Amino acid sequence: MDDFSAILASIFSSGTFNEMLRRATPVALAAIGGSLTEHAGIMNIGMDGMILMGAFFGVFGSYLFTSAWGGVGLVLVMGLLVGLFFALFVVKFRSDEFIIGCALNTFALGLTTYLSRSVFGTSGAKGFPSLPTVNLPLLDKIPFLGAVLNGHSLFVYLTWLFVLVLWVFIYKTPYGFWLRASGEKPETLRTAGIEPEKMKWLASILCGVLCALAGAHLSLGYLNGTFAENMSNSRGYIAFACVIFGAANPAKAYLAALMFGFFDAIGLRLQDYVSSDLTGIIPYAITIIMMVYVVVNAQRRRRHAAQQQLSRRARN
Amino acid sequence: MKKLAGAVNCRYLLSLLLSILFAFLIGAGILAVSGFHPLEAYGAMLSGAFDSARHIGDFLEYAMVLCVCGLACVLGARVGIFNVGGEGQLLLGAIFAAQVGVWMDGQPRFLVIVCAALAAMAVGGLYAFLPGVLKVKVKVNEVITTIMLNTIAAYLCQYLAKGPWKNANKNMVAATEQLGAQYWFGNVIPRSNLTSAVFAAAVMAFLVWYVMERTSVGYEMRITGENPRFAFFSGLRTDRIVLLSMVVSGAMCGLVGMFRVYGVEHLYRDSVSKDYYFEALMVAMIAQYKPVTVILLSLFFAVLKIGAQGMELIGIPSQIYLIIQTVIIFCMAAESGITRSLTAAHERRRARRAAEERLKEELKHG
Repeated sequence: MDDFSAILASIFSSGTFNEMLRRATPVALAAIGGSLTEHAGIMNIGMDGMILMGAFFGVFGSYLFTSAWGGVGLVLVMGLLVGLFFALFVVKFRSDEFIIGCALNTFALGLTTYLSRSVFGTSGAKGFPSLPTVNLPLLDKIPFLGAVLNGHSLFVYLTWLFVLVLWVFIYKTPYGFWLRASGEKPETLRTAGIEPEKMKWLASILCGVLCALAGAHLSLGYLNGTFAENMSNSRGYIAFACVIFGAANPAKAYLAALMFGFFDAIGLRLQDYVSSDLTGIIPYAITIIMMVYVVVNAQRRRRHAAQQQLSRRARN
Repeated sequence: MKKLAGAVNCRYLLSLLLSILFAFLIGAGILAVSGFHPLEAYGAMLSGAFDSARHIGDFLEYAMVLCVCGLACVLGARVGIFNVGGEGQLLLGAIFAAQVGVWMDGQPRFLVIVCAALAAMAVGGLYAFLPGVLKVKVKVNEVITTIMLNTIAAYLCQYLAKGPWKNANKNMVAATEQLGAQYWFGNVIPRSNLTSAVFAAAVMAFLVWYVMERTSVGYEMRITGENPRFAFFSGLRTDRIVLLSMVVSGAMCGLVGMFRVYGVEHLYRDSVSKDYYFEALMVAMIAQYKPVTVILLSLFFAVLKIGAQGMELIGIPSQIYLIIQTVIIFCMAAESGITRSLTAAHERRRARRAAEERLKEELKHG
């Protein structure tokens, strides 16, 4: 019994929640990027490759310019290029999104490993300049929250800003309205005089940049300047699941990513008791359960709505 | 009709050849930028695949893996379900087949091999059944679930190979016990990876082709994939067809895992498959999910893969192979789009010229 309460205490310690934020942020950044493409009606399977590219070019830029900010700069440019590349195929050439996404992931794996081996001599490298952690002065006075919220790399805080900005952009501005229309009713939007393709380009490019930033956070912030072969480790797919779970709403997708981070962090705590290979399964299993829950819930809601409509019609 | 099919094939062949050419050019560019001589590199690739009987055997074995996995993917794609989880099914099939061999040590060879194959197929099939049921009954996107299941399977195998089923040898970090030598598949080409499993794979490939292209079941599968509603209302039990295809696809992947263990590795460790299924998936996509094309392209990509390992000898990272392969896919996927924009530009130009001429005519007469 003591053991059990000790496990519980370690799970719900401030350290777990701190870890949750750290681990959720790469997924969250990719997920809010994915919300944009999802609204634009693009099924973006390729986020994993975009993250991996960001992770590599972050480290590469950090190595080139001997500064983590140089790495972030390079990542921004590369994210833009990857987004453009993705849009070129999916929007301009109207290729199958699924094929392009899968190919992009494999391409990123091949390219980053090839470049890493050419530049660093090994398929992984570490010890590059990394992003500094931020300590807000007043926050550490607060007992629990201070320990949870302080001491992260800048991206953890920037993500909150991005979520807010994108939420306003998608739901409160005309551009966001066009973006949503470009996915749901592209022909209507065209009739209104706005080309849906333009919004799709925009969504793809922004998604590319955000996913690349997620990768930069992964290699430069979360792992302090380390690149490893295939280090995105299916995070892009988890981000995709978060997008679906959050119905492409950036705020909800962020919460879904936090949930993923929470279970990932719990796995870390449980490693003292269970093999790390088994705890590694947890976030992936949770993702599947999440997907099933979303679909079942949506079906139930639809059935409920249909029944209400029927009964209303019967009354009339 | 026959003429039409010929035209389509010609167009496919042309775009495939152009894509391959373009991909090799891109690869040459990347090689040149990273300081290697492209021709020398491609020469090393060619000799890496063909310089000895051993390497020829190796690429034939890899072609077998690509071909069976690729056909497994085609089976799913034909009925409209994408089995991206072949990697997990393969790994689980491999580890269970290996462990069955360990458990049944001392039994007759035939019995052990049959039991191991059945175990691998059952495990692979079951592991594909789960996302299949979720897709058919609950309509959950199978791409995400199968990818998650891949990672889960990899962790699970890692756990089993390190924990309960661990090799007694301390130097083996994550591996099962070695199989008795009497259970190994015989080599077809000495000292290469090519074993008698290739005959089983060939029979399997033929069966898959035959069922898909020459039987009514194959026809039903095709309608289910192309127009599920029509298939459903013409009385086909589409759910069952989709589920069955998925399970057979998983069983095939599991069996490939068994081939890898009994043919090459002789125990389970993670070198049984290094994302081989994903490469097979790429092959299936390039082949546009056509069985015969999958078989032919498997050979081509196996040569590239084993050849790329030959490039390692002169210091070139073999991952250039993945880059070339994906560039081919990008080109093939964009083929219709590129053709469309080219014809559109051509049309525009012709229309403008016609308009100008008409204007000239009118000016002359007016």
